[in-house]
Amino acid sequence: MKFTICPAKPEDCKDIERMIMELAVYEKMPDQVKISHKELERDGFGPNPFYQCVVAEVPEEHMSKDGHTKVGYALFFYTYSTWKGRTVFMEDLYVMPEYRGKGIGKALMATVAKVAKEQHCVRLQFSVLDWNKPSLDFYLAKGAEDLTAKEGWHFLRFHGIALDNLAQEAP
Amino acid sequence: MDFTIRAASLDDCKDISRMILKLAEHDNVSDQIKITQRDLEQDGFSKNPFFHGIIAEVPEHFKSRDGHTKVGYSLYFYTYSSWKGRAVYMEDLYVMPEFRGKGIGKALMAKVSQLGLAAGCTQLNFTVLDWNKSSLDFYRKQGCWDVTSDLGYHCMRCEGDALEHLGGHLHFTDQSQ
Repeated sequence: MKFTICPAKPEDCKDIERMIMELAVYEKMPDQVKISHKELERDGFGPNPFYQCVVAEVPEEHMSKDGHTKVGYALFFYTYSTWKGRTVFMEDLYVMPEYRGKGIGKALMATVAKVAKEQHCVRLQFSVLDWNKPSLDFYLAKGAEDLTAKEGWHFLRFHGIALDNLAQEAP
Repeated sequence: MDFTIRAASLDDCKDISRMILKLAEHDNVSDQIKITQRDLEQDGFSKNPFFHGIIAEVPEHFKSRDGHTKVGYSLYFYTYSSWKGRAVYMEDLYVMPEFRGKGIGKALMAKVSQLGLAAGCTQLNFTVLDWNKSSLDFYRKQGCWDVTSDLGYHCMRCEGDALEHLGGHLHFTDQSQ
């Protein structure tokens, strides 16, 4: 099936919002999504965007059962390793279920890797839920390493009241 | 002990580089450090910086045994959660051993939180090695939670040959070219 991968435009944010929710449902946490296409438009397309996004699109004749032609996306941003230098973090990679198995996910990830290399990034990092075997298998097959399993890295987070309390102690 | 927390400048890169190496020694990975003082200068202080830094400094009369007044740092950058929006990621937090237990680490972390909230962030994220009990205890005491233990998120990475292979083969129609 033919498809294209293009940098996202502001008008894609409604579709990205839709697919973010579909991914959250898959990850069994739909109640955790708090932002909408408005925040995506504000934060992804100004002079200092917080993220970048590429969208996979199919021609009209292959549109989804619900009438969508934007069928996948990858959202990423630049990060930094004080050991190795410039890196990219892929926050989301998603393809609608009816379009899987056609190379779209691989193409999206390859596009992110290509952008990373153009910016002289030496690592592509992301996270996966430990029960998400299809995704783990997909990534491990591409040569990814599971740093939590291999080296014991854990993600920690401050949010809500704990974050407010911490900030109040700033000198 | 008196100390100040301020934004890092280009001139601080030499000390940041020194302290990065010390932190890597603590994590038993000092042979993995590939970046230099020059990389820090280019990547942190150009038009589109990849990171921001803050420095903890003590007055001259409290300088370290080796003669340093810059005794701690935190390196952070802005990230994005597709569920929650703007976030800040704290890549490094370090205080020289002889200056620990004086509130400097907490002050650095609090400053990153304050800057993050001011920029509209709703999360402060970072990673810790599971064997690093003293750091894990320090963070838990401040009220953070372990997303890996609680939700099952694993940190994944592609680098070297794996990254080369990934980016090298694009076999589809790409209208962005």
